[in-house]
Amino acid sequence: MTPSLYRPGTTRLHRAPAGLKLAALCAAGIALVLTGSLPVLAAAALAGAGLVRATGVPLRALRGHAAGLAWVTGLVVLATALLDGPDQAVAAGLRILALVLPALAVTLTTRATDLLDALERALSPLERRGWIRADRVGLAVALVLRFVPEIAGQAAALREAQAARGVRTGPVTLIVPLIVRTLVRADAVAEAIDARGYPPGKDERPR
Amino acid sequence: MTTRDLVLIALFAALIVALGTIPAIPVGALPVPITPQSLGAMLAGLILGPVRGGLAVALVVLLVVLGLPVLSGGRGGFGVVVGPTGGFLLGWLLGAAVTGWIVRRFAPGPWGWRETALAALACVAGGIGAVYALGIPWLAAVTGMGLSRAALGSAVFIPGDLVKVVVAVLVARGVRRAYPMDLR
Repeated sequence: MTPSLYRPGTTRLHRAPAGLKLAALCAAGIALVLTGSLPVLAAAALAGAGLVRATGVPLRALRGHAAGLAWVTGLVVLATALLDGPDQAVAAGLRILALVLPALAVTLTTRATDLLDALERALSPLERRGWIRADRVGLAVALVLRFVPEIAGQAAALREAQAARGVRTGPVTLIVPLIVRTLVRADAVAEAIDARGYPPGKDERPR
Repeated sequence: MTTRDLVLIALFAALIVALGTIPAIPVGALPVPITPQSLGAMLAGLILGPVRGGLAVALVVLLVVLGLPVLSGGRGGFGVVVGPTGGFLLGWLLGAAVTGWIVRRFAPGPWGWRETALAALACVAGGIGAVYALGIPWLAAVTGMGLSRAALGSAVFIPGDLVKVVVAVLVARGVRRAYPMDLR
């Protein structure tokens, strides 16, 4: 797994505040779902393509994204064309492009940490009411990133061990030990975190 | 929430992500190998319970929003969430919570035949019912196709989902025997 889909750069899109980009994306998304006009959708899709170009990321690096997008869009357009006719199919395809391309531009130009900060700010009213704890969300994200390669490696090791013993690996024989090991691991990690007194809670400050 | 809850949520989210990186596993004689990642929502509910299971999936969704390639095939980013299949992603979240809630309410103890059947029903309600309840209207709204058409198009995936229900229940049974845990 590559660490992130973010591509470093110095374009205007890179420099725009993450919160602003997210807010614009949400507003555009709602507007696009509400409209059915072909010219508007076509203009929005073009603008989205322009945004992706404006990220300065070479087209070659976008091949993976393009393949996934083409697959989903093609499938939806084909289904709509068969069921509803060509006009609807064009509208559906344009709407998907208009929604996904700007979102791709934001993903390419915004660091994960900046997005996390923006989300934390957006969620701060919830935090003030005590519904969530931003520091705990940060810790959880860090833990996931730390343990994905670990667990993926363990899955590969389990497969090899089972193959060496001549066990035919099915989903159940592979996933059960993987989950049990993960749950056992979680206990050890939780103890280690508690032993280090992290994250310091508001109510459990060191005395 | 204790530290242990937090770590369980994070490690289960990591497990769901990791399941997306391992190659698809063939199931018996079925022509379509299952990608284990979509099992994650059902498993999170069955094994962790409604709150922790839902939060584990929510954490995966958060990582997708943050632009990390955590979905199978290295997909991620805001585009996945706002795209035609975004509703299914949010549906996983609801699905994990619903599955977990039903199991905690009706089959909390050791799993005999009755509890196993209930767990399978919980997976169908959460992992299929709740997921499609969000996914289909979302697909209909994004593409502009009607609700009934979107439902028809999504129905193709239901046989595969039923296979996943069976796998999820068998896995959860095995895990419960090896490592009994309270559902929360």
